[in-house]
Amino acid sequence: MSETKELDPSTQFRQLYDQEYRSVYRSIRAVVLDSAAAEDLTQETFVRAYRARDRYTPTAPPGAWLRRIGINLAISYLRRQKLARFLPARLYVAPDRRDYDRAEARDVVTKALTGLSPKLRAAVILHYYDGLTREEIASVLGVPAGTVASRIAKAVAIMRKAIGNDQDWEPKRSSSEGALRGR
Amino acid sequence: MPYVEDRPTQGGIGTPSEEDISRIIRDTVESWKPQRGPDWTDVMTRLASTGPPAWLLYTAASAALVLILITAFLVGSALHIGALAPQEIRSHLP
Repeated sequence: MSETKELDPSTQFRQLYDQEYRSVYRSIRAVVLDSAAAEDLTQETFVRAYRARDRYTPTAPPGAWLRRIGINLAISYLRRQKLARFLPARLYVAPDRRDYDRAEARDVVTKALTGLSPKLRAAVILHYYDGLTREEIASVLGVPAGTVASRIAKAVAIMRKAIGNDQDWEPKRSSSEGALRGR
Repeated sequence: MPYVEDRPTQGGIGTPSEEDISRIIRDTVESWKPQRGPDWTDVMTRLASTGPPAWLLYTAASAALVLILITAFLVGSALHIGALAPQEIRSHLP
């Protein structure tokens, strides 16, 4: 990425969009667990990033900057959804979860993530999928690194239990054991 | 007396290890593909259709409310409407 402070909208920002779209989408989807909402929030992430492009400083990779915007948008979205349930029925139309339940809750990971709070999901995904360190996650979520460590540990404990109890879970011992033996 | 762990950290036979968790998260999340895909035109459309910033909207709404209240007070007192009209003083007190 360029060393210039502002991302050039016509070339660099467009390239960044094409490069990072899928990974930002996946991180957001792992938090909201809803593909349609994740796509909408991903677009909104890039809109916000574009507006704030003059404030971007290249001290961190642009992907981490985009994740910071996206994950926080996703957590705010879930918070709004939670608050909206307190509105009168005529003002709030609950999203139809049947499609989601049918299409998206098939895999063991999605089912295990459903058992976590959005903040735990964010910590898990940023660590295990995006490969961020605890300090980087702390920066993205705006919490101390110790809090990130405890969130990851708590989330892993819940996920191990959930996945271990899942009928669809089949341990693949050969690859991981081989990798461990090789160390 | 042998040490017996009451909360085993390694889990049972069917419990995945942290490495398993890491692997299946990566594998599953990598398989998620957006249905509509990257749509740069939509980003541009959203940017073009953006309204005024929230702070400007709230400031304008607050200023308008203050203006309405001041106008109502001035009009009410000039036209002697309601409680802003001169109050009648009773000459004969009970």
